[in-house]
Amino acid sequence: MGDTLAEEGLAPRRRFQILRRLARHRSFRIGFIIVLVLTLAAIFAPLITGLDPTAMRARIRFRPPQGAYWFGTDNFGRDVFTRCLYGARLSLMIGLGVALLSGVTGAAAGIISAQYRRLDAVMMRLMDGLMAFPAIILAIGLAAAMGPNVGSLIVALSVAYIPRTARIVRASALVVRELEFVDAARVSGASSLRIIFRHLLPNCMGPLLVQLTFVFAYAILAEAALSFLGIGPPPPAPSWGNIIAEGRDMAVDSWWIMFFPGLAISLATLGMNLLGDGLRDVLDPRLKVET
Amino acid sequence: MTTVAIAAAGLIASGGEALAQKKGGNYVFANVSAVGTMDPHAAAAVVDLEAIHHVFEGLVEMGEDYGAKPMLASKVDISPDGRTFTFTLRKGVKFHNGKEMTTTDVMASFERYKKVSPNAPALGDVASMEAPDAYTFVIKLNKPNSLFVEVMKTPTYSFSIVPSELKDQPGRELEPIGTGPFQVGEWRKDSHLLLKRFDGYVADESAKGPDGYAGKKTVWLDTLRYNSVPEANTRIAALQSGGADFIATIPGDLAKRLQGRTDVKVMSVIPFCQATFITHAKNPPMSTNRNLRQAIAALIDADEMMSAAGQVWEANPSLMFKPSYYHSDVGQPWYDLHSVDKAKALLKAGNYNGEKVVLETNNNYAYMRDSSQVLVEQMKKAGINVELKMVDWTTNQADLSKGTGGWNMTITGLCSGPLLGPQQWRLSLAFAQNPDDPVVTEGYAKMFATTDAAERKKIWGGIEKYFLEEGYMMKIADIADLRGMNDKYVGIKPYYMQRFWDVWAK
Amino acid sequence: MRILRRLALRLGQAIPVILVVAVLTFFLMHLLPGDPASVIAGPEAGAEAVERIRHQLGLDRSIPEQLLLWLWHLAQGDFGTSIILNQSVLQAMGERLPVTVSLTLVSFAMTIPIGIVLGVVAAKFRNTWLDSAVMFTALVGVSVPGFWIAILSVILFSVTLGWLPASGYVPMSEGVWPWLKALLQPGAMLALFQIGFLARMTRSATLDVLDQDYIRTARAKGVSEWSTIAKHAFRNTLIPVVTATGIILSLLMGGSVVIEQVFALPGVGRLIVQAILTRDYPVVQGALLILAFLFVGINLLVDIIYTWVDPRVRYG
Repeated sequence: MGDTLAEEGLAPRRRFQILRRLARHRSFRIGFIIVLVLTLAAIFAPLITGLDPTAMRARIRFRPPQGAYWFGTDNFGRDVFTRCLYGARLSLMIGLGVALLSGVTGAAAGIISAQYRRLDAVMMRLMDGLMAFPAIILAIGLAAAMGPNVGSLIVALSVAYIPRTARIVRASALVVRELEFVDAARVSGASSLRIIFRHLLPNCMGPLLVQLTFVFAYAILAEAALSFLGIGPPPPAPSWGNIIAEGRDMAVDSWWIMFFPGLAISLATLGMNLLGDGLRDVLDPRLKVET
Repeated sequence: MTTVAIAAAGLIASGGEALAQKKGGNYVFANVSAVGTMDPHAAAAVVDLEAIHHVFEGLVEMGEDYGAKPMLASKVDISPDGRTFTFTLRKGVKFHNGKEMTTTDVMASFERYKKVSPNAPALGDVASMEAPDAYTFVIKLNKPNSLFVEVMKTPTYSFSIVPSELKDQPGRELEPIGTGPFQVGEWRKDSHLLLKRFDGYVADESAKGPDGYAGKKTVWLDTLRYNSVPEANTRIAALQSGGADFIATIPGDLAKRLQGRTDVKVMSVIPFCQATFITHAKNPPMSTNRNLRQAIAALIDADEMMSAAGQVWEANPSLMFKPSYYHSDVGQPWYDLHSVDKAKALLKAGNYNGEKVVLETNNNYAYMRDSSQVLVEQMKKAGINVELKMVDWTTNQADLSKGTGGWNMTITGLCSGPLLGPQQWRLSLAFAQNPDDPVVTEGYAKMFATTDAAERKKIWGGIEKYFLEEGYMMKIADIADLRGMNDKYVGIKPYYMQRFWDVWAK
Repeated sequence: MRILRRLALRLGQAIPVILVVAVLTFFLMHLLPGDPASVIAGPEAGAEAVERIRHQLGLDRSIPEQLLLWLWHLAQGDFGTSIILNQSVLQAMGERLPVTVSLTLVSFAMTIPIGIVLGVVAAKFRNTWLDSAVMFTALVGVSVPGFWIAILSVILFSVTLGWLPASGYVPMSEGVWPWLKALLQPGAMLALFQIGFLARMTRSATLDVLDQDYIRTARAKGVSEWSTIAKHAFRNTLIPVVTATGIILSLLMGGSVVIEQVFALPGVGRLIVQAILTRDYPVVQGALLILAFLFVGINLLVDIIYTWVDPRVRYG
């Protein structure tokens, strides 16, 4: 088994070792710093820029990046830099929401499949059915059906990633179940719930965490794509995706409206991917497949 | 029975252009989507109508000034009580299948219309229809309607005449046989529709030349092809490369790309539609608080709204377009006021207490999306508790026509009502919200009963003033439709929908 | 024999999957507010006109009745007629599938060779600057939003330089070179993500294999590094690569939706998005069902290749 946490569980000393390994991993460090900087920028947005992201000033429409407007202004005269900072809040929040929701639901589905073998076949067919849906189309349909707000968007995007998360957790949980001590616990009459929470769950955390960081990255990209198709977080509140969507028509003459939020998305996703790579190398080096 | 002849004058083709007309040319029109149906009784989409009006004709049609002109009927006699309309048909008019058009076909067409058309309620007041002889058709109404002939000219859900043997074909699936100057050649749905010149076309010789959709039409082109090119970029590329001779709907920013070229030019057709906010007549707080409605109307800033969307526009306080006889300035006191102070004063006087106002808009039309965003900002400045609800166009439309969705106000583009006259508004969605409003019902009853045009205009002015003053409708501006064409052909004139007769190759 | 048995098993498992997709799509579409009647009626129609059209289209029947009707027609091979386009769903799909398939092929032609080569090179020169450079490039590929980089690319290569067409699809009947030219940019944009993905997977798969005993033995015997990789490692890298390809194909659908929109390619992705937005129920339901069939088919193929490539693979 080697490096899995299986035998010892998450003893504090073990946890500390893991943190130290993460800190020394180059990809993780870089990714962590990027994500941290973006998160801080999002949180402290009002302090960094004094401007209102939705204030329209017709006189300064379409200013290119210069002087006070680092990223220029858009067709309403709104400052693009300010909108990108506030947009970070929405986009990162959506990423986090999707990661958590799909993580919890997917993990539940995966563990239930692994533990209750009779439900497994049904569960997996359901998951297969969901996966046969192109994620973006499922998201479009759900978002349109549930109405245009951030909450329904998070649900819509989560649904697409639940099957993939479920598969990963199920695979891990199945492996753990076969281990001797878990077998022993089962034979000695430990209840299902005890097995789940004491053995299965802690040992799936590694792959689950890795999966969540990649889901976070996908979600940010997906929110941008949905906004581009017109079904993202509704204006006037900015998200990176909807800034690009509104700026698309003017892309030839006023490239800055579209350029900077795209850069922000790329940076955030890059950071998350690096983070995920680091986590994967440390927590579960055998896991090569990221979806 | 007094005879009221509908004016038969039309536009004359200018002498210089009339020289050197010759037959020939395979014209290509790149439109925004494919022709979905060629059934005039069931078609409302502009893309369908563009093609339909080359293939079908009705008793009367829109003239160049958008008023009703004779087409298949050479004259219409109206009884003094305004309830009996006698249409005298032209003789010798041929369908594409060679058959001559007579009253049998007219009667069959109207009966089919009543059965399959979503606009059948327009014939709701018809008491009876008679065909005393082969070239006379009589409609009797049970209430006077002096604007009935104007109703007959409608280009949407047209009262086109089709051969009587097609009477029982289901709606949207009519075999496209008409009396028009073009006939259907090849039709590959979702790709293209090919029309050919109808060499057996019997033109209206009593007119001097083409007059809108009426008058004397002459076809010089051999074929006319409608292609479906949904992406604006692709349409422009097609025009530039010679793949299309005419392209529909160019967004303002992309039109700049064609500037400076001598072989293609951009034609601006304005007014094309009008951008208007509509208030829900039954959802509080707007349905109950008049000052709130007027306050919001006072915030509208046409320039800001239209410029943000990059839209070509024109100021117009009226619900009618400028060329229309019914256009007036009654709406001026409530038009484009862009005053936050005025709004605040009205709110205070109306005891507005921060009740929530839901503004529903859609993401698909830039001018609708951007106008709404501008208004939301202005409303916030005036202290109104507003929520912007962004949906897609289909949902917006459905909510608008059904009144569902919990919206207090929404935005739409009105295109045929402002063009065709007050009779067009009676059944349209904007007024359908207030079906029992006495201003509407009594106003229309009076208007239809009056035979004096000036009196009708005054009555309409009263109705229009009511809607604008009460803030049930808030006019933003008239917007343009930009179209592109090359310089290889002569005779293309701006009109609501493009016509390709009296167009010839250089 | 084993292959046939596996095939039968997988087919049996596929049927409930397809049923799930069918019913899910149906309910999803009918959850959407609004309906195609209001689209057909146009923006100025009154409620009465819309109701008449709804009745003509059979939309005023109860939902279970509509579902059963649809399933009944499906069982007879009738996928229905598009409400908005007025053509049969199969015909609509048939006209658009070649476009999406062309796009997929062109992007695949770029993805597979480049992705695999990058991954192998990175593995061979692991932990050197080359490895880092290649992997960083791959990382950027999977991090950048496809439509954003696509629009930037169009501004550069089409609007400014004029080298490639900005949009539109040219059927092969009008010439192979014009067809290819129109698909180069969209294909490349689609390939960006896939190349990054494939390169990363290939690298780790190759690394895995390079560490195996029999490779070390070959090396000890003096066989050149490259021929070792080529002969032994490659065959064994095939499995994860095939997995990745399967995953990529299903990701492709999502990516192509956006790319088709940017480049105005009349493909399946665009058809479905437009159909959802105009509530064209038969098209969405039929198209997604057909895609589900394809998805299941591809998975089946991947499975068979697994069994063929590595007879040691066993499933629980």
